[in-house]
Amino acid sequence: MDCFEVRREFPGFWRGSIEEERRQKLLEHLRNCAGCDRAFRAFALTAPVLHSDSRPVGMASDDVSRRPPSAASRLRVWLAATAVATLAMAATVAVYLAVASPTETLDEALSPQDSIGELAPSSPFDLTSAG
Amino acid sequence: MVAASEGYEPDQRPDAARSDAELIVEALLGRGVAFAELASRHRRYVNTLCHRFFRDPEVVRDLAQESLTKAFSGLSGYRAEMPFIGWLRAIVINVCYDELRRRQRRPEELIGSFTEADRTWIELVNDATPEQIVAAAEERNEAHNLAHRLLAMLKPEDRMVLVLKDSEDLSVAEIAAHMGWSEAKVKIRAFRARRVLRKQAEHILASRRTRSRSGLL
Repeated sequence: MDCFEVRREFPGFWRGSIEEERRQKLLEHLRNCAGCDRAFRAFALTAPVLHSDSRPVGMASDDVSRRPPSAASRLRVWLAATAVATLAMAATVAVYLAVASPTETLDEALSPQDSIGELAPSSPFDLTSAG
Repeated sequence: MVAASEGYEPDQRPDAARSDAELIVEALLGRGVAFAELASRHRRYVNTLCHRFFRDPEVVRDLAQESLTKAFSGLSGYRAEMPFIGWLRAIVINVCYDELRRRQRRPEELIGSFTEADRTWIELVNDATPEQIVAAAEERNEAHNLAHRLLAMLKPEDRMVLVLKDSEDLSVAEIAAHMGWSEAKVKIRAFRARRVLRKQAEHILASRRTRSRSGLL
């Protein structure tokens, strides 16, 4: 292996994806070539980010969604939850106002006049009381 | 565009057993669960790509989430001729590139003093065998941190080219097409990026060797 080949193999060596025979040749070359050895050590300073598939430090192995949410995310969730709760309350109040009479009191609600039997004779469409 | 309505009959297989293309059709028909499966399938890749640009796990997660959200909202623009992963990568790259440019800092702010952990790592890179360096790098936070600090010295354009070429293994032509640049510009950016990194890395390693020999460590 010449220097060009060796340096081209650095990423594969770092990831452990080259064949054992080439790996041994690369290591032997690095032991005997000061220039490539220096180049590999310089390569090693950025390889943990550029040539590694490992997760960010402190992050779960394969899914960041398992980590606790950030402050910004928590705020977004809180705002969304607050908005939903407010809308739900507003809807409840609106339904109540639409269905119930605003002047109705408890006594009026319990009054027997509300029954069909009491109201029916006064209805203009009541045929039983006519004449 | 993916045919989303004509001649499509939903099948009963679980989402995990369906191809990306099938899930995309389902998602375009309004089944959000199908996109959730698609996102779950590719989230690891999206995270890894974001991590090549940013060190902070929270930033990585937010950018990954933003990328997937954009993918969802722009799914109708996906063309089935290209693999979904390539289309998704283009979105992630754009999101990360915008963020890189937004938070661009002056280089002198980035490589300042080293922590004791940094110094230990640099010493190991200087003195250990290549195999020991590779084995140690995966376990050390400082290896990732120092790499990010070095990469942060690059201009956003240079870093983008380096990541796409070295990490994503894209060709010069592919990078040029994605960035809307000439191939010559991509080559120049890559050359500049490597030169800056090599100089900085050799400077760090050489200064360590000098201090070590003079007994300052």
